[in-house]
Amino acid sequence: MKFTLSWLKEYVDTRDLSPEALAEQLTMLGLEVEGVTELFPELQTLRTAKVLSVGPHPNADKLHLCEVAVGDATYSIVCGAPNVRENLITAIALPGTVMPDGTKIKPSKVRGIKSNGMLCSERELGLSDSHTGIMELPEDTDHGQSLLQALGLDDLLIEVDLTPNRPDCASVIGIAREIAGITRSELTLPVAETEIKHTNGQFSVDIEDSEICPRYAARLIRNVRIEPSPWWIQKRLLSIGMRPINNVVDITNLVMMEYGQPLHAFDFDTLEGKQIIVRKPRANEKNFTTLDGEERTLEPDMLMICDAAKPVAVAGVMGGLDSEVTDKTVNILLESACFNAVSIRRTARRLNLPSEASYRFERGVDPGGCATVMERAVSLLCEVAGGDAVEGGVDMYGGKRPFNSQTIRISRTSALLGIDLDYDKIADALQSIGMQCKPKNDDTIWVLAPTFRIDIEREADLVEEVARLIGYNNIPTSLPKVRLSYPEQQPQRQIRSRAADLLVGMGFSEAINYSFTTSRHLSMMMLADDDIRRKQVALLNPLSEEQSVMRTMLLPGLLENLKHNINFQKNSVRLFEIGKVFTPRGKDEQPIETEQLTGLLSGRRYGEASHLYFNEENVDFFDAKGVIEELLQQMRLQDCGKKDAVSFRIPDTAEVENYEDPSQCLILDSGNGTLGRLARLQSEVARNFGIKQDVYIFDINFQLLCTLTQTDRHFRSLPVYPAVKRDIALLIPEHVQAGDILETIRSSKEKFIEHCEIFDVFQGKSLEKGIKSVAVSVTYRSPTKTLTEKNVNKSHTKIINTLISEFNGSLREG
Amino acid sequence: MEQEIVALQSTAKEMLAAVEDTTQLEEFRIRFLGRKGQFGALMKGLGKVAKEDKPRLGQMANAAKKEMEKLFSEKKQALTSFTAGSVSGAGIDLTLPGRRPEKGQLHPVTQIMNEVCSIFENLGFSVAEGPDVEHDHYNFEALNIPAHHPARDMHDTFYVSDSILLRTHTSPMQARIMETREPPLRVIAPGKVYRCDSDITHTPMFHQVEGFLVDRDVSFADLKGVLTVFTRKMFKKDLALRFRPSFFPFTEPSAEVDIACVICDGKGCRVCKKTGWLEILGAGMIDPEVFKMVGYNPEKYSGFAFGLGIERIAMLKYGIDDIRLYYENDLRFLSQF
Repeated sequence: MKFTLSWLKEYVDTRDLSPEALAEQLTMLGLEVEGVTELFPELQTLRTAKVLSVGPHPNADKLHLCEVAVGDATYSIVCGAPNVRENLITAIALPGTVMPDGTKIKPSKVRGIKSNGMLCSERELGLSDSHTGIMELPEDTDHGQSLLQALGLDDLLIEVDLTPNRPDCASVIGIAREIAGITRSELTLPVAETEIKHTNGQFSVDIEDSEICPRYAARLIRNVRIEPSPWWIQKRLLSIGMRPINNVVDITNLVMMEYGQPLHAFDFDTLEGKQIIVRKPRANEKNFTTLDGEERTLEPDMLMICDAAKPVAVAGVMGGLDSEVTDKTVNILLESACFNAVSIRRTARRLNLPSEASYRFERGVDPGGCATVMERAVSLLCEVAGGDAVEGGVDMYGGKRPFNSQTIRISRTSALLGIDLDYDKIADALQSIGMQCKPKNDDTIWVLAPTFRIDIEREADLVEEVARLIGYNNIPTSLPKVRLSYPEQQPQRQIRSRAADLLVGMGFSEAINYSFTTSRHLSMMMLADDDIRRKQVALLNPLSEEQSVMRTMLLPGLLENLKHNINFQKNSVRLFEIGKVFTPRGKDEQPIETEQLTGLLSGRRYGEASHLYFNEENVDFFDAKGVIEELLQQMRLQDCGKKDAVSFRIPDTAEVENYEDPSQCLILDSGNGTLGRLARLQSEVARNFGIKQDVYIFDINFQLLCTLTQTDRHFRSLPVYPAVKRDIALLIPEHVQAGDILETIRSSKEKFIEHCEIFDVFQGKSLEKGIKSVAVSVTYRSPTKTLTEKNVNKSHTKIINTLISEFNGSLREG
Repeated sequence: MEQEIVALQSTAKEMLAAVEDTTQLEEFRIRFLGRKGQFGALMKGLGKVAKEDKPRLGQMANAAKKEMEKLFSEKKQALTSFTAGSVSGAGIDLTLPGRRPEKGQLHPVTQIMNEVCSIFENLGFSVAEGPDVEHDHYNFEALNIPAHHPARDMHDTFYVSDSILLRTHTSPMQARIMETREPPLRVIAPGKVYRCDSDITHTPMFHQVEGFLVDRDVSFADLKGVLTVFTRKMFKKDLALRFRPSFFPFTEPSAEVDIACVICDGKGCRVCKKTGWLEILGAGMIDPEVFKMVGYNPEKYSGFAFGLGIERIAMLKYGIDDIRLYYENDLRFLSQF
């Protein structure tokens, strides 16, 4: 809602409130002021000028050489306007002025003659479309003053962000009422001197459904002169950004802005049967051309204003082209009506036709105000457009509502707001905005709200008014008295936070990507056509194809992030995201939302760390595996004794995802199903994302992870006796896997084995082809004694023999 | 020769033990370990021993020298560790960077979210999370926003079907929790929310925290109290704040909460549009209609609800000026927080 300070002051005395203070007061009343700005800031430097003389231009027939006075100074100016003449008062842009279109005015030569500025047309100033000549100001205008001042446009524009519950404030008078409430001053409302009497026989109105049209008032005005509005009307409209059209249309707009009641003027002579029927379209009425020239498709439940034969307007939204007021219009039928908010809203939505009128109707207009507002408009039409108001008119008020009376309890209000109130305080607040109050009993007040406060329907609405008028900041501050209880927290949140912290400690940064994405990602991931993840939840109204479906994988987003970072020369990247993926179910069912933990590593192992100390090797599969091992261990999910313990498994070929390198891929199994996987990303997929370096990825079903039991923390006594460590260097066929060797040692049931690990693997060099060397270290310890050479040798020899026979190996010499 | 070595070693050890400061230590170094020192002389002397003894004696002399060097550097460390500063030039350039382990960062949104949640957890609120893809019922109807209510204009909604949508706020959790639990309730609900709106100040996905408290005799003054505690914990101790009337269909009275602009200290700047105030929270007393829909008696219980945007708080706390940075996951951005 926009209005100017001077407009507001027409209706209310703002006392000594400065514009800033006024804005603050409105904001604190819940009418949030978005801005207070000078009108037409781009016209601040324009001046008025008086043409002193007009002479011919020596080098151009169509140009004139003028002397103009701007206050005490005179300027020579070349002007081509046909209407330039002696004594004309007009607008001048002196050198240095920047015009609304951005041109800077400079002293220049026009066809060899010096010109010190420019006389301007209304179009050049952005005031109207008129470009037939330079602007003409009243003769008695002083020259040399600011143009805006001369036009009465040296004003402040105030813009209020209205909440949907206050349609009554979508009007300058509505705002004025609120100001009057706080300044305790009287409102000065426009005086309308005509009066509606019932039906006059010159036209008739029928309403087929008073549910959706509670009130319809109309009057006939004959013999109007259609011409541009007087400046005072144009000025009001221009100042709030509305384009003046002609006096009739401008008056309907002006009065709408004054009162918040939309009006519509029909060219009466285009209405067949001199009749208005408010109804829904007939089956054969499928299309309708609105006054903007667009053909609209009608739906059966849209409310139309019709004449005896056909629709002439979309009720409350926009008039029709055929009944529009034109230059030739002589007689007009003025409509002031109230329509059902939901119906108007639905129609405006479906036609995609938001208008000032529909904005107000869909929030609700005051049915009680239709007649008053109409009379204001009628009186202006007579005064300004020279019309003759045909006596009487029609006022169909089928949806008249009973008085809007409510009750409010003093005790309840006090308790809800946390402040001590009594009858006087509450009544004083409510009466300041025009509500009538009477005590009903000791605790209850009877309140009658004015009809324009259609938002007041319940006690709660009155309580809010009381709070608002007392001022929220005058309500004290306290803390609730609550019973002590322990807030139980969702374990998933805690586990998420733990996992994130661990990954951060391992050099990963957390990413957050949009939950919606493009289905193209899945092709880039080379998913099979029948892959379940291809079934995505699609948005009906996406902003773009890039954000059109809910994601089924987090990895594509992270790969886009990796690419973005590489583009900005950050090649060493470790990122993870914990977020939801969405699996569709039925059409009107919520999808299944599953939380995933996905991460990637790429580039150098030590990232940006100093080359002084760290080598520049790139990450490989074992960096990824190490991260997962550490994560699982820290979260205590990898205990061998547990039923659902997590373990790594080499997948069958069929289990490998299309985007995974089959030679570098592991699956994480838990007792409750597959927990996740880690792999090297297929180079082709990387290339699909524009990435030209190795990427290692891991993907964990976080939801499942949260269900796994963590091993208890359990103390084990510290060993008292020393350990004995023995190494074995084995030559074995290259296909034998390190994991199997360790497993064989662990399961050998030899006493005293405390720990075994691989500490070296190599191939080539002096070794035979197809053979690799694996060095294993085995630690023996007894909890009860110091082990002797003899004890250890026995076990160790057995282990060596088992390994040699099991894996067809031999001991490496030297 | 063998005895010479043993003798020199024991003399040197005695001498070293007697050294009390760095000056003496330097004298010791020159006498024994310097280029013209006694160990050097010893090494030279090896040239004259019999060929067959050479390897053995050489090794022995070497070991002795090594040991002395080790003892020397230990002594040096012992002496200098209490006289910091006097070591520069002694071989280590301390201005070289430290050997830092690589560390990542939590996303700033997560960090702020954790901070917000922990303030309310400390006030006894529990945390609940709900679905991102919601029923129209919970997102709107149960919050007193029927179809075709103009308040729906405040939510540019992404729809999945006629009745399923991406939640436009975290408020659906109010209805979901009240539906299944009885007061007293103190709950916050953090999460992602979606609006089909994208420009320099809006991203189509962002994060909110919804909170509500329902009990007997909860007042607007209590709402003011709790939110005052929160904003001051979140920003600073003596932060000025104001409550002004607003409208949400699911609260009445409704309020917007402004804090004194943290960028200009309330003096007026670009960020606060010269008002000196920043909108930070929406709040209000839960509307009796909402209570009725979940089967609570509004005469018996009252309560308040509030909602806040995480990105906005992060922007104000960290001075982030471009909201789009949040979802690019640029490490140059992420590593700053």
